[in-house]
Amino acid sequence: MATPPNSRLHTMLRASVQSVQWTYSLFWQLCPQQGILTWGDGYYNGAIKTRKTVQAMEVSTEEASLQRSEQLRELYESLSAEETINTQTRRPCAALSPEDLTESEWFYLLCVSFSFHLGIGLPGTAYARRQHLWLSGANEVDSKTFSRAILAKSAHIQTVVCIPVLEGVVELGTTDKIEEDLNFIQHIKSFFIDQQPPPPTAKPALSEHSTSNLTSSYPLVIVPVTAAATANNVLIQNDMNIVDKGEAIILNNNNNNTEAELLADPNSNSFIPSELMELDHQLEEFGVGSPGDGSNHLDSFPKEESMALCAAGLELLQLQRPPAPAHPPTENLAQGDTDTHYSQTVSSILKKNSSRWWPDSPSVNHPTDSFQSAFNKWKSDTDNHHHYFHETVADGTSQGLLKYILFNVPYLHANRLKGTGASSYETNHVMAERRRREKLNERFLILRSMVPFMMRMDKESILEDTIHYIKQLREKIESLEARERLRGKRRVREVEVSIIESEALLEVECVHRERLLLDVMTMLRELGVEVMMVQSWVKDDGVFVAEMRAKVKENGNGKKASVVEVKNALNQIIPHHEPYTLCSNDHF
Amino acid sequence: MGASSDPTQDGSDEQQKRSEIYTYEAPWHIYAMNWSVRRDKKYRLAIASLLEQYPNRVEIVQLDDSNGEIRSDPSLSFEHPYPPTKAIFIPDKDCHRPDLLATSSDFLRVWHISESAVELKSLLNGNKNSEYCGPLTSFDWNEAEPRRIGTSSIDTTCTIWDIEKETVDTQLIAHDKEVYDIAWGGVGVFASVSADGSVRVFDLRDKEHSTIIYESSEPDTPLVRLGWNKQDPRYMATIIMDSAKVVVLDIRFPTLPVVELQRHQASVNAIAWAPHSSCHICTAGDDSQALIWDLSSMGQPVEGGLDPILAYTAGAEIEQLQWSSSQPDWVAIAFSTKLQILRV
Repeated sequence: MATPPNSRLHTMLRASVQSVQWTYSLFWQLCPQQGILTWGDGYYNGAIKTRKTVQAMEVSTEEASLQRSEQLRELYESLSAEETINTQTRRPCAALSPEDLTESEWFYLLCVSFSFHLGIGLPGTAYARRQHLWLSGANEVDSKTFSRAILAKSAHIQTVVCIPVLEGVVELGTTDKIEEDLNFIQHIKSFFIDQQPPPPTAKPALSEHSTSNLTSSYPLVIVPVTAAATANNVLIQNDMNIVDKGEAIILNNNNNNTEAELLADPNSNSFIPSELMELDHQLEEFGVGSPGDGSNHLDSFPKEESMALCAAGLELLQLQRPPAPAHPPTENLAQGDTDTHYSQTVSSILKKNSSRWWPDSPSVNHPTDSFQSAFNKWKSDTDNHHHYFHETVADGTSQGLLKYILFNVPYLHANRLKGTGASSYETNHVMAERRRREKLNERFLILRSMVPFMMRMDKESILEDTIHYIKQLREKIESLEARERLRGKRRVREVEVSIIESEALLEVECVHRERLLLDVMTMLRELGVEVMMVQSWVKDDGVFVAEMRAKVKENGNGKKASVVEVKNALNQIIPHHEPYTLCSNDHF
Repeated sequence: MGASSDPTQDGSDEQQKRSEIYTYEAPWHIYAMNWSVRRDKKYRLAIASLLEQYPNRVEIVQLDDSNGEIRSDPSLSFEHPYPPTKAIFIPDKDCHRPDLLATSSDFLRVWHISESAVELKSLLNGNKNSEYCGPLTSFDWNEAEPRRIGTSSIDTTCTIWDIEKETVDTQLIAHDKEVYDIAWGGVGVFASVSADGSVRVFDLRDKEHSTIIYESSEPDTPLVRLGWNKQDPRYMATIIMDSAKVVVLDIRFPTLPVVELQRHQASVNAIAWAPHSSCHICTAGDDSQALIWDLSSMGQPVEGGLDPILAYTAGAEIEQLQWSSSQPDWVAIAFSTKLQILRV
C-alpha cells in the first residue's frame, strides 16, 4: 500500500518526523563552495486544508502527506517561475494554488526560499557550533533570534529544533510548545546516523536541489502579490468547503493514535506493520466525527488567516535584508585571508634571504689566509659587474699607456736616428726588410690567383694548394706522354676470312679511321658477300676491331667470291700504318 | 737629476696595515716595473718613468718592514734613454750571479747593481755584428738559462741574446708585422705575439719552423701581451687590443682557447701567472681592477663564464702588473704615478 520513497534522505526525513508526530522536517544542505545552507529536501506532516486529487478513492495518511509534500514543492516552484501565468495554465488540474494552504503549509513552503550562511540563523548557527539548537516558543521570540519568527507566529509553529549532521542540518518543527529534550535529539539523530552509509546515492539529488534553490531565491518579490490574492480567495473557499474541514480534524486524530502506537512498541522499526495498524485505526475512527466542532473552528478562522497573511507579506519584504549583511563578513574574511597569504609570502622571502646570506657568513668570518689579503672576494660584486660587462672597448682611452709603449715609444728612436743622421745602412736594412716582406706577400697573392679553386687565404694553405695543383699537372703530363708512347708502339693490321659453302666469317683489326665500317660493308656487298651480323668497336689506343657473319651469293658474273678475293679486297680498303691517310678514296 | 720624493700612503694607516697594502708615489707616470728575484733583496722593485722625451729615469725602491714605507734610494736611481718598455731583474734566487737589471727601449741594456750605485754593464747593440736592432717592444729573461734574453721588436723580428758574450745568438723573422711581446716557455722554447694577430711558438732547435697556436678571430686584430705559465708550460694567456677579455690557450690544441676570461669592465692591460701555482692568474685593466682567477676547472666549461675569486680596485687604470716569484704572496701594480704592492 505504501508508496516507495523518492530517495533515502526523503525516507529519513519522513520516518523521523512521523516517529515524533511533529509538523514538518527539513534538511538544510551544505553548499561547500559558497559556505551556505540551502533547502535540500523536506517532508510536511501537518494539517492539510484542501485536498485535491484525481482519484475517487481515499488514500492512506502516508500517501496523502507524501503527495502534499510534493505538491507544496511544485507550488513553490510555480510561484518562483518568471512567467507565473503561463506556468499555471500548464499545471495539472490536481495542482495546488495558494488558497489551498493552511498557515503551517505556508510556513513549510516559504522555508524553501531561505538560505543561511554558516553561523547565521538557526540552522547556520547549529552547523557552525556543531551542536543542536532547541527553540521553544519560536513564535514569540524576536526575529533577530529566529529570522522566521513572524512566519512561525502566523503558522502557530511554537517549537523548532535544528540538529547538525554530516552534510547539513536537520530541522523539525511543530505547532506544540515542547521543552528541550535530549532524548528527543538522540532519537532523531539515530535516523540519520544509521543511514550514513547510503549518502553517496543521495548526493546527486541534493546537489541538484541546491542549484535550484539558488535560482529560486531571486523572485521573492512576486510572493507578496500572490499572498494578497490568496487572502481574498480564502474567504470564498471557507464558505464552500465546510466538509473538508471535518476531514482535517479526523486526520489529526489519526496522527495522535499513530504516535501512541510507536511508543507502545518501541522495538519495531518496520513500516509495514505500522501502516497496517494505521489502516485499522482509520476504519475505527471513520464513524466518529463532530460536525459541530468543525463549525466552531470556521467562525474564528477568517480573522486569524487574514492577519497571518499580512504578517507573511511583511516577512517576505524583510527577507530581502538578510543577503546584505552577508557580504561584509565575506569581504572581511577575504581580506583576512589576503593578509595571511601576504605574511606567509614575506616570511618565505625572508627565509630565502636569510638562507642566502647564511653560507657567506662562515667564509667571511674565517678567511683562509692567516694574514688579511688586500683583495676582496669577487662574489659580492658579481651582479654589478655582470650588468656592465662588455667584450670590446674601442674608445680613445682604451689601453692608453700600453698602446703608447708599443706604438709610439719605439718610433721615438726612429725620429732621433733621423735627427742624428743615423747610419744609412741601418735604415736601408729596415726598408729592405719591408720591401722583401711586401714582395713575398704580393707573390702569395699572385700564386693564389693562379691556382684554381683556392678556398683558404692563409699562406700555408696557398702553398699547400699550389703543391697539390702542381702534382695534378704533373700527373696529367705523364698520362698524356704515356698515351702518346702507347699509340706509337701499336701498328695492328689483321684480316681473317673463312668461307664454308655459302657461310662466311670475317674478322678485321686495323687502325681506325672515319667511315671505315661503312666502306668495308659496301665493298663486301659488291663482291656478293651480304653481311648478316656485325660486332665492332674501337679500342682506347685507336684500334678498330670488327667481327662479321655473312652470306656468300653469286655476283654479277654468276660466280661466288673466294676467300682470297675477299681478303685481298679488305686489305686494300683498310688503312695501312698511317691512321689518317686517304687510301680509301683511291679504292672508290 | 731628479730628487726622490717622500713616500706617501694611500688611504688610512689603519686600513693599510690591516689590509696589507703599501703605496709609493713617484714624481712621474710609471710604466715598466718589476720585482727583484734575489733571496737577499726582498720587497725590492724597479720602477721606470714614462716621459715622452729622451731622458727618463729608473728607480730601485725598497719596502721597509719596520715602518711599512717604500723608500727610494737616491744612489740607486739613474737616468735611462727613452721610456723603458720593460724591466726585469736577473732570475737568480740563489745569488750565484751578479745583481743585474735589464731594460728595453731602443736597445737592450743590462745594468749592474751594487750597494751604492747602478752602472751600465752592457749595451746590446747589433751594430757590433753589422746588424741593426730595431726598437724593442718587450723582452723576457730565460729563468732556466739566465745567459739568454729574448727581445721582441717592431721590425717583425725576435732576437735571442747571449748576455755574457754580449752577442746575438739567433735572430728570427717571427711575424708578418710588429712583434709586441715575447715569453720563454723553457730552455730553448719561446712564444711571441704580434700585430698580425697570431701567437707563435718557436723552438731554437728548429729555427726554420714555428707553430701558430692562436689567431684572432678578426683578421689582423693585434695581440698586445703574452704570458706563459711557468708552472704548467702547457698554458699561456694573451691580451687582445682594445678588448676586455683575456684568452687562455693550451699549446696542445692550437687555435682553440681553453677559456676566455671576461669579467673586466674595460680593456685589459696586463696579465701575470702565479709563480707558485699552476692554475692561478692575475689580470688588470682600465677598469682599475686587479682580478685573480682560479683556472683549476679549465677542463670543464663553466656555465655562464668563469668568475674571478678575488678582486682589488685601485684609484686609476692599472697599467702594469707583476707577481713576485720570490715572494708569491705579493703582487705589484702600477697606476698613474703610484706603485702599490698587495698581499694576495
